[in-house]
Amino acid sequence: MYLNQSLVASNPFEKHLIKRKRRGGWGKKALMMSLMLTSMVDMFSMLVVFLLQTFSSSPEIMITKGLNLPNSFTSAEVREAPVVSLSKDGNLYLDQVLVGETKKILKSPEMLIKKLNVIKNTWVEKHSGQPFPGEINLQADEKVKSTTVSSLMGILTNGQFQSIQLAVVGSN
Amino acid sequence: MSRKIGLGKKKELNAELNLTPFIDLLSTMVCFLLITAVWIEIGSVEIKQSKGTQAQESKKESYDLDVVFNSDKKISLNLKKGSRRVQRLVVNESDFEASITQLDTLIATKIKNFKNKAIDIATATVTPNSKVEYGHMVRALDVLRKNEIINIGVLSASGK
Repeated sequence: MYLNQSLVASNPFEKHLIKRKRRGGWGKKALMMSLMLTSMVDMFSMLVVFLLQTFSSSPEIMITKGLNLPNSFTSAEVREAPVVSLSKDGNLYLDQVLVGETKKILKSPEMLIKKLNVIKNTWVEKHSGQPFPGEINLQADEKVKSTTVSSLMGILTNGQFQSIQLAVVGSN
Repeated sequence: MSRKIGLGKKKELNAELNLTPFIDLLSTMVCFLLITAVWIEIGSVEIKQSKGTQAQESKKESYDLDVVFNSDKKISLNLKKGSRRVQRLVVNESDFEASITQLDTLIATKIKNFKNKAIDIATATVTPNSKVEYGHMVRALDVLRKNEIINIGVLSASGK
């Protein structure tokens, strides 16, 4: 007798009906699903470790919005350096900050050179005794004229940034 | 069981780890990592620019290659030893893709195997053209790098 659970009935049929109702409603069998929590936690932990390892192994550089980088199948890993961007709409950015119109800057590059010198001097102050590597990342839209990019490279070279890394979308 | 093993009066240890917050944390982390992940692989093509005669002095006996874009489809190749030109080849195909394929073939067969002898190209200089897009220039750089020409410079208007 299940007196404590108020299963009190006069005949066996009533008892049977009450039992069925308790199990999970009329006409339905009680559904008992057991989830293997240990293996699920294992799987989650492995997934987290994998994702952390995959996305933290290489340095990432910010890509200027609306920029279509050219594809390359011989690309190397990106190194951390200042980023100069040439957008399709004709603007030039240095570390995501608008410097001005590309045409004007190519004609009178003093302002860009001044900003590059600030970056260079900051680097030299931080790494005293080390030679300046002159590394810079250059992002340019694939539709920009190649002569525009080469002129900018000339300005960067004059500003002692001689190791220019062209940002590309790796397709290897 | 544990009472039977030990001599002293030890209480049975029944520490259960509450898995629900643990699973919550892990699923949140997985979602965060998947959302913040950058799926486009950004790479770089290194260009080593030289100032003035800096590059000329160091390589007297080695071969150099000049890749000149005359137009989007026409590309001239000048192989030089020291400062003397030893070979000139011209790629002129119907479209850019065909020109790039031809450029690759010529570098692999006639430049890298100059007079049936394998040579090393110390430096390559690419001269762009206003008719050529930057994306196409990168394709040409790709071809050079594929043929193991690593020291590449781009000729610029304002500074050599």
